[in-house]
Amino acid sequence: MLTGNEAIARGFYEAGGKMATSYPGSPTVQILEACKQYDDVYAEFSTNEKVALEVAIGGSFAGLRSMVSMKHVGMNIAADPLMTFTETPTNGGFLLITGDDPGLKSSQNEQDNRVFGKFANMPIVDPSDAQEAKDFTKFALEMSERYEAPFMLRITSRLCHARSVVKLDEAISTRKPVFEKDMKYAMIPPASVKAQYFMRDRLEALSQASQSFDLNKYEDKGSDVLIITSGITYNHLKEVNPDISILKLGFIYPLNEGLIRSYTDQYKSVIVIEEMMPFIENELKLMGIACEGKKYFSFTGELDARIIRNGLIDAGLIEGDKKKAGMTLETVNRLPLFCAGCPHRPIFDILKKSKAKMVIGDIGCYSLSILDPIDISNSIISMGATIGITKGIRKAMSLGQAEEPVVSVIGDGTFFHSGIPSFINLLHQQKDFENMTFLILDNRTTAMTGGQHNGGSGNFNEQDDLHVDIKALLETIGFKRVIEVDQFDYKASKKVINDEIAFNGLSIVIAKGQCALKYKTKKTPYYVDPEVCIGCKTCIKTNCPPLKMKTYEGINGLKSSIDPEMCVGCGVCAQVCPVGAIKLSEVK
Amino acid sequence: MNIMMVGVGGQGLVMTSGIIAEVARRAGYDVKTNDVIGLSQRGGRVWASIRFSNMVYSMNIPDGEADFLLALEPLEGYRYREMLKDDGIILMNKRIIYPSDVVFDKAEYPHDEIDKMLESYESYGLDANEVAQGFGNKMAANTVILGMLAKKLDIDKSIWEQVIKERVPGKAIEINQKSFDFGYDFV
Repeated sequence: MLTGNEAIARGFYEAGGKMATSYPGSPTVQILEACKQYDDVYAEFSTNEKVALEVAIGGSFAGLRSMVSMKHVGMNIAADPLMTFTETPTNGGFLLITGDDPGLKSSQNEQDNRVFGKFANMPIVDPSDAQEAKDFTKFALEMSERYEAPFMLRITSRLCHARSVVKLDEAISTRKPVFEKDMKYAMIPPASVKAQYFMRDRLEALSQASQSFDLNKYEDKGSDVLIITSGITYNHLKEVNPDISILKLGFIYPLNEGLIRSYTDQYKSVIVIEEMMPFIENELKLMGIACEGKKYFSFTGELDARIIRNGLIDAGLIEGDKKKAGMTLETVNRLPLFCAGCPHRPIFDILKKSKAKMVIGDIGCYSLSILDPIDISNSIISMGATIGITKGIRKAMSLGQAEEPVVSVIGDGTFFHSGIPSFINLLHQQKDFENMTFLILDNRTTAMTGGQHNGGSGNFNEQDDLHVDIKALLETIGFKRVIEVDQFDYKASKKVINDEIAFNGLSIVIAKGQCALKYKTKKTPYYVDPEVCIGCKTCIKTNCPPLKMKTYEGINGLKSSIDPEMCVGCGVCAQVCPVGAIKLSEVK
Repeated sequence: MNIMMVGVGGQGLVMTSGIIAEVARRAGYDVKTNDVIGLSQRGGRVWASIRFSNMVYSMNIPDGEADFLLALEPLEGYRYREMLKDDGIILMNKRIIYPSDVVFDKAEYPHDEIDKMLESYESYGLDANEVAQGFGNKMAANTVILGMLAKKLDIDKSIWEQVIKERVPGKAIEINQKSFDFGYDFV
């Protein structure tokens, strides 16, 4: 049993893959983590997706089968080297994995990276289960080498995390010699001009060859209509099991017109079922093949069996009553919250009580600050964007929009990923009396994706080799006012943060405290003395999992309480308590 | 066979669904599972589906088609009750984890509705944390629920015991074995 992610890692290993890189992002995090189990594979989480891609390009140039994996939005970061790398021939087989997220389960947008693959002149494969994820990975690496083409494997979040039975094979051993100096690897004119024809011819050759690829599946039911689909949608469609012929595509770009017509010519009409954009539908229409698809099936979200069935009813292809989604009952909601002992908790408690009303957030666990009950951030856009946006808001305010403090919040992972250039940019045309406060939440890990290392992890964790000192780095860049705080010293942190928000200029506060989940914080738990507690709920408002109000025997009214099993002893609640009712338990 | 498992982020659904899936595979079935992983913070609602039979296409359980609802937390079980067949079975860890809205007095925890639900289905519930803690570690709470499921499924008990032994940390094997047996005998 393997997940789609694990199956890709296994396929890479079996294909003789040697260099795997990534930047952690849901839904593809597990691919690189699974690659690390194979001794012969060099695997790294790089600083960001662009760097990860570049390292893998180097691997391919030097003759190794190489793979880079990222979530869909990571391709935006990697786009610059990608769009030029695809002009060159690959040497060792090269595969890019994009984890698309229909339904935006853990993402800020829903971009369909099949479009990106076509834009970058990459052939694309689209597996429908873990077995195919493994098989297609191997196939893509082999074809990449044969056709000197960087391949894309598109997978979606559902399949990344779904387990199914996979048959394992032995790994092969393969490597090519290191590339030799040649203008085809140096993309300046006239080599880059020639490369346009090389890319066209390479795709044409793959289109021709695809007529004999064994990646498609055809099920003839003798119907008038043919359904064309690909990826996980196929399995949801099989669940509906309509009495209609199905062509499931595995190799989805470039499509071979002759091959497609050899099927569609046998039918009166063609329906395309695919998640997100009408990619296959549009390819068919470009060939002049009449078809419908997005007319009946949503352009957004996942297409599960229920939605497919409803669409087929709308299209008049099957009979029955349409069903509404009925998976969950309306009841009390349950929002995620910061872990017990999370270093972000005191910072947001302080911010919520501060004068700052314009808070610009970023991507990380602290994105939660936009939700109830913290509910303090005004905006979240993309990795590292808070710094530039904050500068823009500040400058706009100085141009007469409004005058108020602007606070920007960024985590250490995001700082290293793409925050640094924006910090440098802050000093350009900086004026006095422009009030901006930047809070860097340094928990020394990329926490939201499960605690991967980053540029500063080595300061906390002996096994990590990167020890970037954020304060020293910022001072080297030229910032004058950089202050470190220990956020578990609540009072001191509160004073510094409030002072800096009030300070009419640019300041940076680095809050240093390790991620409670990653570093498994577990200290002596605290307890509430109900005789002292006044039931004011100040501690409850920090929204810590072990805290809740309860009735104590012989005491009037509700008082706070702490579940000792869940408490990790960070002491924030004890520090916010106005009457000293929260005390450290006796050490056993 | 359709098994729907629901709970709260941090309760170990991924590991538990992995054990059920591996047991079913070793029993000779085709298996597909689905773990819904959102943000990795704790405390949000999470679910997993496990489906096995001779041939499984989609990993998603159609609404109202679950044979079992494994509720690792009562409210979450209640939230997903519509997934259950009319003659489906509920196996519940009755240890409550209060959501923020209840802690902040914005909503009431639906105790009565949960009790009614348990009465209207074949259901088995207990405080699995307490049971597991009694054997030495509350982390084995889900194993109590697995024991309950094992009793109700027609798969050899030894396969369950073997897979659990392989998947839990070495020092926790005995605690998990006892927790499993407790759940098995409880049903």
